[in-house]
Amino acid sequence: MKKIVLSFATLLALTAVFAFSIASSWNIKSDYSIKFSGEDASGIFKTFTGTINFDEKNLAASNFAVTIDVKSINTGNGMQNKHAIGAEWFDAAKYPSIVFNSSKIAKAGTGWQVTGTLEMRGVKKEITIPFAFVPKGNEAVFSGTFNVNRNDFGIGKPASGTAGVIKIEVYVPVTKK
Amino acid sequence: MFKRALLLGIVSGILAGVAALIYDKVYFSTTRVDFSKVTSTVSILAATLIGGLLAGIGYWLLYKIMKGKGEVIFNFVFVILSFASILTPLAAKLPLDIEFPELFPGLAVPMHFFPALAWFTLKPLFIQQTVKDYDKPAGV
Repeated sequence: MKKIVLSFATLLALTAVFAFSIASSWNIKSDYSIKFSGEDASGIFKTFTGTINFDEKNLAASNFAVTIDVKSINTGNGMQNKHAIGAEWFDAAKYPSIVFNSSKIAKAGTGWQVTGTLEMRGVKKEITIPFAFVPKGNEAVFSGTFNVNRNDFGIGKPASGTAGVIKIEVYVPVTKK
Repeated sequence: MFKRALLLGIVSGILAGVAALIYDKVYFSTTRVDFSKVTSTVSILAATLIGGLLAGIGYWLLYKIMKGKGEVIFNFVFVILSFASILTPLAAKLPLDIEFPELFPGLAVPMHFFPALAWFTLKPLFIQQTVKDYDKPAGV
């Protein structure tokens, strides 16, 4: 009898710990938008996938792992699109994806910030992205704006000063899994 | 001359517009890509009509200033401008929700030659060619 009670107690304790350590998982809705703008070009990436686990009360278990399909770039001009996925810029044949994996999420003022590794054109770099999280029932919206310097990733011809800075605007509506 | 040149411009503009609309429909049925946001019926007709009107005024001006050489210069200018104008669709930045922007030049570039083609096709009906002495049949 003692053994059974002990087993149940252990199971209960493990379940509680497990439940507490898992952050809410979110499905990315289709009306997301990943915009970029810089001196050379501006446009969107149309294909964005990944897993988002985020719980305001459990940041330790929260994480982002998202991928952008480089070939889904749309600058509004066909020739520019072709040029952008070419060897000089994103080199989509060799590096078909832009990948971001978070390592730490922290509260920052009224919003949040996620630190992680951004991989573009085979170059990995740690960046911190500030973002806002607006929950509404079973749905929520993640949004954020940040800059990356394309020179750091070897994208395009080297640009001096702020010419290489690309502003990225991310808007990701999600639903709870 | 001004009236005839202007009428030729208007009629060739309308003909070019009709040809462009037909080409637009054919292009859509072939590619199934919808560019109606940037190439509406009204914008196509307006552009070709304005092109025709400008050609009519330009022809009359050059004819008046340059006399005999006016027509030759006009033909050169019209063709050169038609070629130069294809830079516009090649460099155009379409709204980002339009799929396959790389197919847009295939639609718009040929349309830029329609006003000139219509003008050269209809011109003999409106403005008679001057027959030079050395072109006349022998004995006339």
